Amino acid sequence: MSQQFTPNNPLPQEAKVPVEMAVFSLDVEAEIDRHLAKYPVKRSAILPLMFIVQRERGGYLDPPGVAYLADRLDVRITDIWEVATFYSMINTEPVGTYHIQVCRTLSCKILGAGKITEQCSTRLGIKPGETTPDGKFSLSEVECLGSCGTAPMLQIGFDFHENLTAEKLDKILDTCERGEYVFTVKG
Amino acid sequence: MTTAESVKVTINGQEFQVQKGAPLIDVCRENGFAIPSFCYYADLALQASCRMCLVRIEKMPKLQTSCTITCTDGMIVTTQSEEIEKAQRGMVEFLLANHPLDCPVCDRGGECELQEMVFDWGGLEERFTERKNYYPEKFLSPIVANDPQRCILCKRCTRVCDEWMGEDAIEAGGRGANTVIGTFGGWLNCSQCGNCIEVCPTGTLLDATYRHQTRPWELERTVSTCTFCSDGCQMSLGSRAGELMRVVARDRYVDGINGEFLCIKGRFAHPFVNHEERLRTPLIRYRKGGKLIPATWDEAIRFTAAKLQEIKDAHGANSIGVVGSPRLTNEANYVLLKFAREVIGTEHYTASEAFSLAPFFKHMTAPLATHKDIRHAKTIVLIGGEPEELQPLTAKQVRQAVRNGGAKLVIINSVPVRLKQQATQFLHVRPGTEDALVLALAGQTDDAMAARKMGVEVGEIEPLRRMIDETQGNVVLMFGGELSTEAQTILAQLPGSIGDEENRRFLFHPLPLFNNSFGVHDVGLMDGKLNATGLLDAAGDTVRALYVAGGLLPAHLQGREQALQNLDFLVVQELFATDTTAHADVVFPAASFAEIDGTYTNNDGLVQRVRQSIPPVHQAKPDWVITSLLADALGIDFNYQMSASAVFREIGEHVPAYQGLRYPLLKDESKPVQAKYQLAGQRAEVADVLAELRQRVERMTGAGDKIMETPEVGHELFKIGTLTGKVPQFHLLAAGNPEPPDVLVSPLYQITIDSGLRRDTAIAGD
Repeated sequence: MSQQFTPNNPLPQEAKVPVEMAVFSLDVEAEIDRHLAKYPVKRSAILPLMFIVQRERGGYLDPPGVAYLADRLDVRITDIWEVATFYSMINTEPVGTYHIQVCRTLSCKILGAGKITEQCSTRLGIKPGETTPDGKFSLSEVECLGSCGTAPMLQIGFDFHENLTAEKLDKILDTCERGEYVFTVKG
Repeated sequence: MTTAESVKVTINGQEFQVQKGAPLIDVCRENGFAIPSFCYYADLALQASCRMCLVRIEKMPKLQTSCTITCTDGMIVTTQSEEIEKAQRGMVEFLLANHPLDCPVCDRGGECELQEMVFDWGGLEERFTERKNYYPEKFLSPIVANDPQRCILCKRCTRVCDEWMGEDAIEAGGRGANTVIGTFGGWLNCSQCGNCIEVCPTGTLLDATYRHQTRPWELERTVSTCTFCSDGCQMSLGSRAGELMRVVARDRYVDGINGEFLCIKGRFAHPFVNHEERLRTPLIRYRKGGKLIPATWDEAIRFTAAKLQEIKDAHGANSIGVVGSPRLTNEANYVLLKFAREVIGTEHYTASEAFSLAPFFKHMTAPLATHKDIRHAKTIVLIGGEPEELQPLTAKQVRQAVRNGGAKLVIINSVPVRLKQQATQFLHVRPGTEDALVLALAGQTDDAMAARKMGVEVGEIEPLRRMIDETQGNVVLMFGGELSTEAQTILAQLPGSIGDEENRRFLFHPLPLFNNSFGVHDVGLMDGKLNATGLLDAAGDTVRALYVAGGLLPAHLQGREQALQNLDFLVVQELFATDTTAHADVVFPAASFAEIDGTYTNNDGLVQRVRQSIPPVHQAKPDWVITSLLADALGIDFNYQMSASAVFREIGEHVPAYQGLRYPLLKDESKPVQAKYQLAGQRAEVADVLAELRQRVERMTGAGDKIMETPEVGHELFKIGTLTGKVPQFHLLAAGNPEPPDVLVSPLYQITIDSGLRRDTAIAGD
């Protein structure tokens, strides 16, 4: 059989795996298997698996997590790294409990995303891309989340908070600070 | 390719007949229409991200990137117009939006493709007022320095890393304007070939061993041939004031078999040339057990000649052995052989070669494959060997043949080598049983026995035979040093017995270890009565004196440490003090490959020039000059008048395969000349050899464990030898390439190397 490279027939590549590799419970493995079963080619499952690993590894994709993905999907570790750094939904550094992602793309920007970010910044005392010392909040500006009709908006976990105003934002941050806010973790 | 139909393309009003499906950019360039580009790179996957190669094609709505367009019939193309120039100027402005204006301190300045492009298509001033992205410069490995802000994201490096090297070590991370070239974990764990540095059009990836030492326009460039493995890559030596500063394959003047490809050794292992430990003067040990004392050339030659004459008179000519080296030029080895035959009159001459290819050359029934043939081969059979570590260019060609050319690759090896990733079929055999596969290929009768000895299923052999049978195109048979004399003979005869068909042709590609392994066979140095180990075993007995040019291999000396001490007299020509010179009575300082003129013959049989880049350091002399001086002192004048070309002319007269070759014919590295090897016919005595081979395979125990682990990248490339040991970076790599705590500072300053981590010496001893 010829092994010419085509997108549907990627050459088998052996991942060079660092010393440490993440280990997950049987439940998580089963969940991963369910996702893998959906695709004809293993590497197509890279994004759903990344979200799972990120969730299980404490909110960010650490090197053992990356190593696990490379091994599980039979791709190079640099392939995982490329995808992980491409998407703002995948964190490669530790983030706080509440990761506030403010959309900064056109519609939101025009309708005051800048002010929303600034308000978060002043209230939490951190700049975009930073985490509060207590590890509760992280703030970042992200590209379009596909909710332009309800701009400006932000995302915590997988929850959208739309048509934001200063008051609305304060309320959200209040609930977060009291630790009462429960956000969706699964996509 | 020859079957592709020809189509008519009009470029700027001129009509051309071109092959259908050829990339438009290549066609334009071949016909003299300059098209600027960054990301296009022949034989790599298309990227079309730089948008510089825009052309107007009639009936197409917008400007098109000529790199992604293939020629079709009746295409009407315009490559120059106001519209196109405006678009290109716009593209350059975008590329410069994040590029710093630091050419005066950038190491690529003077040979930077972006710089050249800006001269032609750049604006006078920048209209962007936004802040530029800034990233601090850092190291990606001991030899790759990285300045991310200079990157224009052509992604040549990532494609080269993936497609040429199959390593995928360097990739683009992040996105949009914040994309940077980098690697997982920030540290490159790869074979450190440096091809990403070579193909980088800007100063993003830089050679950390050469950076900040000189400017490219100060360098004197000399096109020469690599002195490490048998692939014989063409490269450009850059020297300044008698010092070899760097080696690159690019320089746009060099267009050899390797393009811009070099491996870590070719590119980075050159500092040995000007190393302070080079031997400076001839040395004489006046009495056994004494010290080596510096002497003049006259004294050393006179002393050596007198001693050799003395031993010849006392014990006969055959008591003197002459050992050449597959590291040396054809000229050096030829003069050495002439010295042995005509001046000494001994039958004991050989070369310090790791394994002999003499049976192969005697029986070969198909021509040799060039690297270009390998790239376009349809079936490649690799028996033993590990080209990705020992012949990196061959490995690259094989990889591209499979990936880009759809070739089928069969690997027969006892180790799951890295090329296995590309293999269609991998026969994992027991160590030392490669012979059995050759026996099986020679005829169906021995399949069961061969499979049993190799530890594979019987059914695995038949598909291989069928694959060779059904190939439409070239079948390249590669083999390493694992094959026995008999197996080499049978394999060499195989194409003759199977026979060529209309669309199938057999080609050979042996994988010897040294730059001139072919040369020592061609000039006849390997036809002596004893081989190197044989000579050492006879030392002190029938062999009283040895004349060694280049050192003996560690493998030869292993277990024979006493042999050199048993000699009455030992003369050595070397670059450095080695295990061989430790017992020498006279040591001559030889000139390295950068200091001499000559030729090497690579594993394609291509005779390629070695050119002098710097004058010999200290008092070193070329090997063949030393031999001629000795001959002169012994009363025979070779009359070469200090001219390497005179030696080569004589080679052209006396060596059958080199008939008619002269230096002027080897002038152009883009048109390499292949030596004319005599093809053997079907030999009657082969039946006996086959019987011997069968017995040899039957004697195999069928025991022994297969090696299951894929060896790590660089396990052979990074080993410390006489030459590579002179480069500090190799010590870091050999110690496992530890990541320094701070990648902003050179790892050489930060890491102390635990000598216990160093691996054993390379088999090739370099």
